[in-house]
Amino acid sequence: MKILNNPLVSMLLAAIVVLTFFYFMNIGIMSIQGLPLNANLTPAQ
Amino acid sequence: MLHKRLNSLQLLPKMRLQKLLNIMLVAVLFLGASSLVSNLFIGDVYADSVAQRIQSVGSILLEGEPQPEPVVVEAVETEPAPAPQGAPKLKREDYPRVGASSRSVVWIAAQMHLFFAAFVLAVPLFVLVIEWIGIKYADDRYDDMAHEFMKITMTAYSITALLGGFLAFSLFLLYPQVMEYMMRVFNLQVLVYAGLFFAESALLYIYYYSWDALRYGNKKWLHLTVGLGLNVAGTTLLVVANAWVTFMMAPSGVDATGAVVGNIWEIIKGPLWNPINLHRFIANIAFGGAIVGAYAGYKFLSAKTVEMRAHYDWMGYTANFIAILAFLPLPFAGYWLMAEIYAYSQQMGITAMGGILAWLFIVQAVLIGTILLAGNYYLWAGMSRTEGSKRYAWMIKYIAMVLVACFLVWVTPHTLILSADEIKQLGGSHHKLLGPLGIMPAKNIAVNLMLIFTFLSFQLYRRADKIATVPYANFLNALMVVIYVVAIANVIFAGVYYGYFTNTVYKVGSSVMQVATTLVVIASGIIIDTFLFKKADMIPAVWGRVSNRSQYALFALPIAFTWLMALMGYVRSSVRTHWHVYTVMKDNSPDNFVPSIGYAGNMMTIVTILFLGMVLFIFWIASLSETKQSKPLAQQELEA
Repeated sequence: MKILNNPLVSMLLAAIVVLTFFYFMNIGIMSIQGLPLNANLTPAQ
Repeated sequence: MLHKRLNSLQLLPKMRLQKLLNIMLVAVLFLGASSLVSNLFIGDVYADSVAQRIQSVGSILLEGEPQPEPVVVEAVETEPAPAPQGAPKLKREDYPRVGASSRSVVWIAAQMHLFFAAFVLAVPLFVLVIEWIGIKYADDRYDDMAHEFMKITMTAYSITALLGGFLAFSLFLLYPQVMEYMMRVFNLQVLVYAGLFFAESALLYIYYYSWDALRYGNKKWLHLTVGLGLNVAGTTLLVVANAWVTFMMAPSGVDATGAVVGNIWEIIKGPLWNPINLHRFIANIAFGGAIVGAYAGYKFLSAKTVEMRAHYDWMGYTANFIAILAFLPLPFAGYWLMAEIYAYSQQMGITAMGGILAWLFIVQAVLIGTILLAGNYYLWAGMSRTEGSKRYAWMIKYIAMVLVACFLVWVTPHTLILSADEIKQLGGSHHKLLGPLGIMPAKNIAVNLMLIFTFLSFQLYRRADKIATVPYANFLNALMVVIYVVAIANVIFAGVYYGYFTNTVYKVGSSVMQVATTLVVIASGIIIDTFLFKKADMIPAVWGRVSNRSQYALFALPIAFTWLMALMGYVRSSVRTHWHVYTVMKDNSPDNFVPSIGYAGNMMTIVTILFLGMVLFIFWIASLSETKQSKPLAQQELEA
């Protein structure tokens, strides 16, 4: 847990977690609506 | 005793309001989820019955199996069923004439009744939660505040009933055939409504007048149960009445002539019922919070002692907290309602947002912008209650800049009403900025950013009097910062890329992405702060140490909310255009047209002023009960 006190590590770890979450959230939400996205988030249709 | 209790308000911990926040969020999510579940499992009212859908269409015989003998069913002579009676087809002379516009009379009566009904249904909802917090923490201050909120509601309740009677009489007098048809369709359901009204009245009076008699121990739980019953009755009353409104907009359970062909549940559960239920439920809470906030502001400004200022400052803060918290998910509920209106009838959707009523959405943007700016201003002003807020003061100017910029984008119209000379000066009917900024992608970005930044103000306010002590505080803070940054980027990316550079289907779909992003910020903000401020060090917050100016924000909120309700209520009702019941029962009265924006604006303003005038009367009545005349000097001397 001590490593999390380092601001740089905290920021990097948080960025990885949040970016991953939003990336898959975007793909998931559009897929549910029948609007698939490519890996680069462009429309697949 | 009151003096002692109020003195302790100086150091009132705000942590407990976290519970209120969580409970309200759960309530909103629960209502949304239950609407979703009912849509998924109860299904479409037009769907065939289960028996029809699963009945066999043929049979298979095994080898050697004899052919079954055909069953001969003897025909039974029955009397032909009476033809179902459709909606009446009215002529101009069928409408009674009373020398005034029937629509205007009903408009004022209905809107006034709805204002008061929204208020009296909403206040007991959050009063119950506040009372429960008082029990959980054995803190009488919450109980006193909840009781005071109810005191305001009691006068309003009588006025609601009076206005309800006025509305019913107006409708039966001015639109008798319409009401006859509605009674025929809803039949006994209207008696259920009447029964619920009796139940609600009884429970309301018991709840209020037994407050001190059932104050402690097990009796308090009994009191809380009465409050729960009151809210169940009130909310059921709301959804029952909503069915009448949504039937008139999107009739179900009737055929094309208006004849009843379905059961009462099929009539009630039209396609717009759940969206309206959710939207009104949330909006009522925001509205109720705003009205009691104005009461607190009124009492704060007229307070004679420091203790009273502290008490009403805290009350105003709580009311504003409730109003803004309920307001945050409201645009999404409104979005769902409009999406369902479009899905039901594209023509109806276009009438609302692309036709004659479209300009009213610009007025809506002005009013919502006023609410958000006033709500934010109150939070910033309230930060002066604690020294800890200095850590975050530098951010306020940037939040204000974003809010103003987004507000300007939101109020940008797509088309302008121009004279020929103005078009000539402009070089065309479209200004170069109106094209990109006047359409939904730009407005979706603006709305979502305003909500995210309002939540940021809210979060900073709540953090102002706390210092985190948990070992993982750095990480949680970093996580929150990154969530804000990525969420803002995601909202802008979704709006710009899918809104301007892909096809319409992706453009519409990306708005859900933006909504989800905003909700993630709000939900994660609540969760992260709950963990971050466990066993936090508290910096004293001095209640009452807030500028008088901030209290005017508490007055701005109910004014804007009331106007907004009048405006959007008119839009919702007017999308039916020349129909009493859309596509089923035509309006042939002299008022069967959508009035001009100016006329509608005047009507909305009249009802808003009338309502606010009556609210001031309620505040005065509530204060009057606290006033006691001192005995005349001559009588005192005589007694001595």
